[in-house]
Amino acid sequence: MAQRCSQSRIPVKPVYGPADMVGWSDEERLGEPGAFPYTRGARAHPEERGGWIQRELSGEGDAARSNEQFKFLLSKGQTGIDVIGDTPTMGCLDPDHPFAEHAVGTQGVSLCCLDDYRELYRDLPLDGITLSHSLQPAFAVAGLYCVAGERGISPAVLRGSVLQVPYYCEDTGYALHMPFDLRLRLAVDSIAFCSEQMPRFHAFLEDTYYISDGGLDAIEEMSLGFVEIRGIVRALLARGVAIDSFAPRIAILVNCRMDFFEEIAKIRATRRLFARMMRDDFGARDARSLAVNIAAHTSGLSLTAQQPANNIVRGATQALALALAGAQAIEVSTFDEGFRIPSPEAHLVGLRTQQVIQLESGATRVADPLGGSYYVESLTDEMEKRIWERVLHIEAAGEPRQLCESGWFRRVFQEAMERHARELGDGTLRKVGTNVHQVPDREDVLLRDVAREKIEPCRERIAWLREYRQRRDAGRVSASLQALHASAEDRASNLMPAIVEATQVGATMGEMSGVLRMAYGVPADPFGMLEDPI
Amino acid sequence: MRPIRVLIGILGLDQHEVGATVVARALRDAGMEVVYLGRFNLPADIVKAAVEEGADVIGLSCHSWEYLHYLDTLLGLLREQELDVPIVVGGSVVTAEDAREIQDKGVAAAFGPTADSAEIVATVERLAGRD
Repeated sequence: MAQRCSQSRIPVKPVYGPADMVGWSDEERLGEPGAFPYTRGARAHPEERGGWIQRELSGEGDAARSNEQFKFLLSKGQTGIDVIGDTPTMGCLDPDHPFAEHAVGTQGVSLCCLDDYRELYRDLPLDGITLSHSLQPAFAVAGLYCVAGERGISPAVLRGSVLQVPYYCEDTGYALHMPFDLRLRLAVDSIAFCSEQMPRFHAFLEDTYYISDGGLDAIEEMSLGFVEIRGIVRALLARGVAIDSFAPRIAILVNCRMDFFEEIAKIRATRRLFARMMRDDFGARDARSLAVNIAAHTSGLSLTAQQPANNIVRGATQALALALAGAQAIEVSTFDEGFRIPSPEAHLVGLRTQQVIQLESGATRVADPLGGSYYVESLTDEMEKRIWERVLHIEAAGEPRQLCESGWFRRVFQEAMERHARELGDGTLRKVGTNVHQVPDREDVLLRDVAREKIEPCRERIAWLREYRQRRDAGRVSASLQALHASAEDRASNLMPAIVEATQVGATMGEMSGVLRMAYGVPADPFGMLEDPI
Repeated sequence: MRPIRVLIGILGLDQHEVGATVVARALRDAGMEVVYLGRFNLPADIVKAAVEEGADVIGLSCHSWEYLHYLDTLLGLLREQELDVPIVVGGSVVTAEDAREIQDKGVAAAFGPTADSAEIVATVERLAGRD
């Protein structure tokens, strides 16, 4: 019989028992919930805080339409918002860029200037809910900071997050067409800015979901995540930012695939690794610097285009794993993921999945309910060991910038995508409806109609933006872009004040990105189709 | 006989590369030469590369609806330049209705998310006249 293995190819025995725990110290490995090494959770009593933050990834069309989406979900009991940009926005291109024409607002919200952020947050209780941003960090922080200021809300009370992926974004996910040093600087500067101005906001959200959902396994996911966290932390320390001023606001947005216990073990191992790393490698002293917040998205890659109703079951299984692992914020990838960004029906099912688990199952009545399980503890130890070995392996392979530029990271992603396809093809990874228990297409009708509706590009944004550019104070915009360029040239300065200033006078994200690229010696427009902004 | 040459590209700002990568691997494993253009192409880029590389077949991978808007331009450019290179479209977002619609326009073959690699390989071989 073939060896049983977890999805990360960890050999697994048929059963675990006391013999697997010989020499195992619960004091060293577990501790109490909310105490070092935080294996059992970042907080002592998660239920007292009302459970995890429930949110569904949203954003479609223009900012006003996305604002309606938020309000719909909030009216159904969602406890935070999570907004993602369309592909131009994620790539720092304005909607009137020739490449953006057919992509405006179809896979997220189109955002490029302060007016957009005003619409995006319209009527939302910015000081009452958490605002999570799957957007380019420096620009999203500037947008939120400016709108809060206009509404008389102190940025200091804002809660939420913005994700950081400076190492990997060119190779997997959304390419910014920016050199490594600039990407890292935007991360460092936005985190440093928030540690002073928005101290409750998690500006350092390491996103291992996005990098891993092409097919990385859980060990690859977390090891690449830790390598990036360590790189950003070192860069912040080199900038003179004190570890305990930003480390309490580090969070990790992890993936959750279908391998139930492995994903739980991964999260527990991640908390433990993080605590030891922050204490021993970076000298953090504040207890909050050691307890990392874990947010999660359930895996879009695990969902299928065939029999989309099955995806609801997958989402529920994954969300239950996350609840048992003590995740502090969850987004359930929706059943129509294989076809489109979420429909309202699918959004609601995703949210209801979380509500049913939280309110009906009692899964989170106690902290870390699986703590002490022979299997879960053995798997947690094994994940911890393998993740850390791989972190050291990657760090020994070279400097991150060099690994990026030489295509070393890209090969990791490439090989993982191919492996995933191979495993689906040969049945190593079983997928109901895809490689087992398939049905003929004519029988596969349930929920297919919802999944197949298309979203038209929001092309009216193009005309709107052209008109917006006309009505700005051209002199002030130009001066602010010159100032941003000067700030970018001074490698020791923080870019955020200049980005905030430019945002306030009406500069667009595309213009600001162009100026930053120029200061780093690359073309302002990666596609060579626009005039330089300054 | 030289191997079949397939150009694989993604249009517009569609960022997902999983499908393109996997199909490129399957075609290479079947003995074909793959010219991998990757992301961020407009129709003119695809046509230019097809000419320069002497592609037998053009493969377009899509995980967004952008391809639907670009196809007319792409097919028009091919016709203008009298290039008889068949286009194969594949991607998670391609529904059966989309497949019919784009084949009516002149796309040689279209694959949705349920297609398997063997089927794609066989189709490309057929379109390149090597079946």
